[in-house]
Amino acid sequence: MARVSRSLAWREAAAGYFFIVPWIIGFVVFTFGPMIASLYYSFTEYNIITPPKWVGLANYMRIFSGLPEFVQTGDVRQLKDPIFWKSLQVTLYFAALSLPLNLLCSFSLAILLNQKIYGLRIWRTIYFLPSIISGVAVTLLWLRILNPRMGILNPFLRDVLGIANPPGWLQDPDWAIPALVLMGLWGVGGSMIIYLAGLQGIPTDLYDAAHVDGANRWQTFWSVTFPMMTPVLFYNLVLGLIGTFQYFTEVYVATGGSGGPQRATMFYNLYLYQNAFNYFEMGYASTMAWILFVIVLLLTTLIFRSSEAWVYYEGQLRGK
Amino acid sequence: MSSLRWRATLLLLICTLLLAACSATSSQPAAPVEKTKVIIFVGFGTGTDPDQVSAQEALAKKFNDAHDNITVEFMIVPHDQATERYLAMVAGDNAPQLVGPLGISTVAQFFDQWEDVTPYIEKDGYDLSDFYGPSVTLNKYPTLNAGLPLGLYPSFLFYNKDAFDAAGLPYPSHDYNDKAWDITALENVATQLTLDANGNNATSADFDAANIKQWGYADTWTDFRGQMTMFGAPNKGRPASADYKTAQVNSEEWKYGAKWLHSGVHEKHFMPDAAGQGAIDSASGDPFGGGHVAMWYSHTWYMSEGLNGLPFKFDIAPLFYNQKGERIARVHADLFTIPKNAKNKDAAWEVMKWLVAPEQIIDVCAVYGCLPARKSVEELFKAKLKERFPTIDHGVIFQSIDYLDDPNHESYVPEWSKVNDALNNTLTTIYTEAGADTDALLDTTNQDVQTVLDEYWAKNP
Amino acid sequence: MALLQHTWRRLQGSMRVIEMAAAGLTTLLLAAGAIVIMIPLAFMISTSLKDPAQIRSDANALLPRTLVMQPYNGDTYPVYTVTTPTGTKTMLMLKKAPGGKAIFVDPQQPETQLTLPLAAQQAQYTLDIHWENYPDAMQAMPFVQYLINTLLVTFVGMAGMLFSSSLVAYGFSRFRARWLDLLFLVLLSTIMLPSQVRLIPIYVFFQELGWVNTLLPLIVPQFFANAYDVFLLRQFIMTIPLELDDAARIDGANPLEILLYIILPQARPALVSVAIFHFLYAWNDFYEPLIFLHTKDQWTLAVGLQTFDSLYTINTHLIMAVSVLMIVPPIVLFFLAQRIFTQGVVFSGVKG
Repeated sequence: MARVSRSLAWREAAAGYFFIVPWIIGFVVFTFGPMIASLYYSFTEYNIITPPKWVGLANYMRIFSGLPEFVQTGDVRQLKDPIFWKSLQVTLYFAALSLPLNLLCSFSLAILLNQKIYGLRIWRTIYFLPSIISGVAVTLLWLRILNPRMGILNPFLRDVLGIANPPGWLQDPDWAIPALVLMGLWGVGGSMIIYLAGLQGIPTDLYDAAHVDGANRWQTFWSVTFPMMTPVLFYNLVLGLIGTFQYFTEVYVATGGSGGPQRATMFYNLYLYQNAFNYFEMGYASTMAWILFVIVLLLTTLIFRSSEAWVYYEGQLRGK
Repeated sequence: MSSLRWRATLLLLICTLLLAACSATSSQPAAPVEKTKVIIFVGFGTGTDPDQVSAQEALAKKFNDAHDNITVEFMIVPHDQATERYLAMVAGDNAPQLVGPLGISTVAQFFDQWEDVTPYIEKDGYDLSDFYGPSVTLNKYPTLNAGLPLGLYPSFLFYNKDAFDAAGLPYPSHDYNDKAWDITALENVATQLTLDANGNNATSADFDAANIKQWGYADTWTDFRGQMTMFGAPNKGRPASADYKTAQVNSEEWKYGAKWLHSGVHEKHFMPDAAGQGAIDSASGDPFGGGHVAMWYSHTWYMSEGLNGLPFKFDIAPLFYNQKGERIARVHADLFTIPKNAKNKDAAWEVMKWLVAPEQIIDVCAVYGCLPARKSVEELFKAKLKERFPTIDHGVIFQSIDYLDDPNHESYVPEWSKVNDALNNTLTTIYTEAGADTDALLDTTNQDVQTVLDEYWAKNP
Repeated sequence: MALLQHTWRRLQGSMRVIEMAAAGLTTLLLAAGAIVIMIPLAFMISTSLKDPAQIRSDANALLPRTLVMQPYNGDTYPVYTVTTPTGTKTMLMLKKAPGGKAIFVDPQQPETQLTLPLAAQQAQYTLDIHWENYPDAMQAMPFVQYLINTLLVTFVGMAGMLFSSSLVAYGFSRFRARWLDLLFLVLLSTIMLPSQVRLIPIYVFFQELGWVNTLLPLIVPQFFANAYDVFLLRQFIMTIPLELDDAARIDGANPLEILLYIILPQARPALVSVAIFHFLYAWNDFYEPLIFLHTKDQWTLAVGLQTFDSLYTINTHLIMAVSVLMIVPPIVLFFLAQRIFTQGVVFSGVKG
């Protein structure tokens, strides 16, 4: 009996590995090499034009040296590369604002667009539009809308909402990040689609059962819709996290690659990019990339661990 | 039924796969073996516009028809991706044979990357005497002569005649010797040319600074060194000593310049602040042609055919004398360079000579908007210029060369981009922060630049 | 009893009112949001129809328009609706004057010229739509060639992605094996490393393969699955009840058949989602194509669009025209895909 179940388990495992073979081949051929190459660069001085030169941990030292002194004294000048830490801070701040807001807005929008209302397909198409239009043209249009002198947002805030001193948005170091968050919210239609797909997958008999049990809309939402949507929420959370930490294109266009004003929008990946392609320090850029990799991997692993407590899969395999 | 559908889908998949494979293999062109190919990489500056692309293709055709040992091909890369593509090609041991047109700044930024053409010049006994003096020296350093000069881009003021008429002001003097046209005179005129939405100018008590419709003056949105060079520090546009070991950012002249910019932007309002610049950019992208700025300090590269269709009359005038009574007018200088790692450098040199030869240089410069670096074609070029821009005073363009900034504001410093990023971060602060203390700011920036230089010299003793 | 029935009916009636009010409120909310969403798009379309001269001087106007000009004394002048002390009049603006004023004249009465504040007067405009920006933009690049390349990259890649990602997602969600969880994390980790530091090695690799300046680097990797799509499909497959598989297995189906006949039909909304996302990604991506494709005959539309964005000259009207053209196919596709997408999946006869 034990032997039979072991051979069954073996067959199941073999089938599992068989189906992921396409990815394994792709990983080995296209992805693994460049990843290892960049890990190697992180221990070198590499200006791309001449071959990399091994420098051991020097790049990592440049990031972390002076950190204990900085923590003690709070003096930025103790840090060897204060811009690195500034860029990490900017990115974390942006992520803390943008991730929850994006999740909330796209989820609510999907719920709204799953109601029985007139012209549903048109509404869905309209809300999906922003994710269709490619980045650069849209960012340029947003720059115009947000501009404190000629844009249309501030007159609206001033004259309609009665805000006396509307912010300078991208020209104001304190408001540049919220401005970028706002720009990002415009595009929530993309992740909304995934929620909508998820909502279609909820078996109708679950709603029937809730109805029979006399649950009202609110109760039905929390007992049926929400748990059934947790796999999609989880997906958007993980990918949102990974994407937010690598936020780049919009800020590159919006600030002309400078990360200004006063480095208020110096995102991690923007600084990494500057090191790689403006300062020709691909070695240092690779070090930054791998530090980001470790941070994001740790956070993702944490979310995966926590998912057992809050993500509900109808078809989850037990006893893994 | 459903199994049929899936089989059909699978079949379709396989077909598309095959199709992809076929199309991919068939799209590889058969390269002619006997000719040496010279790829000219275009994208670090001008040259990527659709009109320019076709003009460059015509040039390549002209060359290829006349030569049977070398073929020329222009490779156009949009500016934002040029660095990545270029570096990828170099890393892939596939560097292009020529890169250009490059300004002084790109030559400096990739300083170690370029082949020194001195041996080629000596080998051929190439005669440089026909080139304007500065065009030869601007891209020449003790260890590097980056290439044969192609063209210069002198700078001067574009001014909106209608705006002057409306304000009842006389036009700026076109006489380079008129010492009255100085920084104070400019400030006076510019303040009167700055108008709010109600038509009040910046000298009026009712002036609404939050609602400016026309600014009196602006310097091309250029970088910190570019905006400082006119103030006449001993190093002109270079932020460091001649041996590049000491940062020299907080000189008296630059401090004056920073303060002048800051007060012009935030107190006197005759120059647009960062929000104003952003507004102009997103409104039309054309500060002068859009009528947002009455006097616009820029270069010949701003002169496109579109200027002839502007809804107002305009002309050009010399840059004003600075606070020290000197005139220092920025200049840009372009050329083609040969990457050190390129193959077939001899062929590249032949093509470089062809591009700047008297027979072509006017056509090549016409593509990029520069003033040809050869004296022998000056009269011909002036005639063409008159044809293209019949209404402006062309003398202003040529005389500007006598006042150029040397050391140039784009010239080499170690860690060129890092130094410039530090400086430009300060420039943004000047343009965004109404309360900024510019003296203190320049002192801090000087320290930042010194740190960058020290790190460089520690690594490269 | 009758009273109770009456109350019940009234309660039902009021419930219906509440529901209708809720639907109305939802629609209102959606409409308000839709306006915000459409503003940038409206600017995009209007800019694509403007004359370059208007983009220079009158960019904030939502409508493509031009000043009404009228000949007078051998020159042409803009027409204004002028408020004079004696009422409003149509006049020509001859010249701006100091103090934000301007000189106006009525061509019928050339002897009286008025000097009035310019800001208080209304310039007259006519609608001036430049449809030719579209053919101009298309002629400024080899549009058909770019379109063919784009379609090839988009659809062949999409087929490869759907094929491989379905298999891999199935493998990661329906089988128990020791290393699968760890391998899944490895899969996810491939998108955690910023692409900037992988660009150079991957370029060199493709060059060794002889794939640079072909469409292969954009198409072939799609046949080997990717983290975004596998993860999404996995999430959806894991919500499909296992009982469906078990039933099929008892009927003698092998794992591949279960994938084809049970899992994939159930995961249709997810498959459509990843297809849409892939389409958008491949359709709009210009970065990778720009690095790998050297010559124009290989370029895609997104690359062509990027080349309009030049450093020194302004092609805003052409950029916007191509941008508008490029959003049409995705809109049509999305609108049509919704039919499949929103049919919903009904599980029948299976109870947990």
